Amino acid sequence: MQTTKKAVIKGNKYNDIIITDQVRSYADEPFFVKKEEKAKAFLKKHPIPDHIKNR
Amino acid sequence: MNLDHYSLFTTDFQDYEFYSNGPKGRIKKVVRYSKIENDPITYNLAFGDETVDGEINDTVITDNQDRDMVLSAVVNTINIFCDHFGNQFIYAEGSTAVRTRLYQMGIARLWNEITLDFIVWGYRENAWHEFKINVNFEAFLAKRK
Repeated sequence: MQTTKKAVIKGNKYNDIIITDQVRSYADEPFFVKKEEKAKAFLKKHPIPDHIKNR
Repeated sequence: MNLDHYSLFTTDFQDYEFYSNGPKGRIKKVVRYSKIENDPITYNLAFGDETVDGEINDTVITDNQDRDMVLSAVVNTINIFCDHFGNQFIYAEGSTAVRTRLYQMGIARLWNEITLDFIVWGYRENAWHEFKINVNFEAFLAKRK
């Protein structure tokens, strides 16, 4: 990837996190939109109970 | 074992890219977090491969012999995400039962590492339960401690 590094954060033993201005937003990507809708439907049907919400 | 060092790339801390390297080549992986619930604030973690055409999918099992490095990279995105958006609930499920089972086995393999930083729950038999190894779940929730 051609990238302009803005910062590098030391991660775990497997990876660093490179902050760049070149990762596009995948917000409108059909794959992710579909995943989001599926997850919303699941949580609507099976909401997080209070004893977990309060953790 | 592939000891390559996988760097994570991000711009907005909601979308992350990294590259798996192995016998099947160099494969671009994408992780995205999107808000799906306000009470409690919950984000969906979705994860897939980007093809050369720019399409994302998670239907192919890549088998690039680096599954723990890939999972570790994904777990690391949760840490970075939480650093920027707070310790919110993170929801994840596989696209198929087989894929969900793969995620579950991955969590189990790295359980000692994961449990240091996260509480994990799984959904099964009409209820959310604390995650247990060798129990099959339909979906997962995680929250950083």
